[in-house]
Amino acid sequence: MSPPDIPSAPEELEALAGEYVLGTLDARLAEAVRAALPANAPLREAVAAWERRLDPLTRLAPPADPPAGAWEAILARIAPAPAPVASPARRRAAGWQHLFGAGLAGAVVAGLAVFLAVRPAGPPPERYVAVMQSDRAAPAWVVEADRESGIRLAAVNRQAVPEGRVMQLWGLAPGDRGPTSLGFVPADGSRFSFDARARPPVDGMLVEISLEPPGGSPIGRPTGPVVFIGRLERVAR
Amino acid sequence: MQAEEAELSAWISQAGGGDQGALRRIYVAESARLFGIALKILRERAAAQDVLQDAFVAVWQRARQFDPARGSARIWLAAIVRHRALDVARSRGRETLSDDPGLGDEVVTDDPVERIAAAADGARLHGCLKGLEEKNRRSIVLAFVDGMSHAQVAEKLDVPLGTVKAWIRRGLLSLRSCMEGTA
Repeated sequence: MSPPDIPSAPEELEALAGEYVLGTLDARLAEAVRAALPANAPLREAVAAWERRLDPLTRLAPPADPPAGAWEAILARIAPAPAPVASPARRRAAGWQHLFGAGLAGAVVAGLAVFLAVRPAGPPPERYVAVMQSDRAAPAWVVEADRESGIRLAAVNRQAVPEGRVMQLWGLAPGDRGPTSLGFVPADGSRFSFDARARPPVDGMLVEISLEPPGGSPIGRPTGPVVFIGRLERVAR
Repeated sequence: MQAEEAELSAWISQAGGGDQGALRRIYVAESARLFGIALKILRERAAAQDVLQDAFVAVWQRARQFDPARGSARIWLAAIVRHRALDVARSRGRETLSDDPGLGDEVVTDDPVERIAAAADGARLHGCLKGLEEKNRRSIVLAFVDGMSHAQVAEKLDVPLGTVKAWIRRGLLSLRSCMEGTA
């Protein structure tokens, strides 16, 4: 049974669903539609169809980087009660974002150039590069990868690892069911190589670093916050 | 960093299984687009940030309900953000006339609908929007993109409230028959 606000005539139902998605219903009617959705299949279908039809209009809102701290606020709301080391880790992760200045883009490009210059001679395998970021605007690692020599990381601005945590590197290629561990990033140093036979690099693969307890994640996928993330892209020959 | 539809779907399902890393990937790939949608509606960064945060908590809680067979992940995410932003706009008393003379000014200087024509998924909507009368088209864009109420659109276009309600309703129904007709 529909509440009196929800019409059953098809054209009325279409118009109501359209205005719900458009956003022009007042608060009371919008809430009535939302409340009716779970039990009213025709209304649900009509709303879903309108979301699909009008979706291209979302492109008219220019993308904008959310304020620093938004992710940490989300994490604080979804995370279970923090483990003893979790809160320093989170604080440190937030601190990293402040430490990376806006002028870092030039440094990243310079780092990438130096990094690429040291590749060995010979017939090159497909090569991939990525910049891993702690936030959209905070580059932290330059990554270079190929199937033969694995994955190499160079720190752009190395920060200390939170006490009691290790940094674990993961690879997640499109179509993978979950991330594959590629090893641990040592606490000191700025350049590292990883044997990537467990998950050979491919175009579009995500590389991530999460903070884990000593010895690494016990469950084969990240358990702590993912503090750095980037996506490998093929280098044109 | 952008993500393919299939990746986003997979991450949502992983988030539904309790994988925070998957939620992080969704955030990295989609937060700028989603924050932009909320900011356009609310025009205030702090309010848009609250909406983005609420939306990601909702994504985390409802990820198990997402069914890729029934719809796109990008659309699902955008709908969560838009409806949350619209709720906030309503709670701010959107239904009363605005005293903000600059409300939505930037959207009437050109025809923003042209900007969706290039995208493959925007071509059909673009063609059908172009088939509407200009006032109907503008009303729909101001409502969807800028989150304006009937009253705000009426004020913006300087026409009676009842006229705007009729334009929008007629515009939506024409849009629907146009888009279904060219399927």
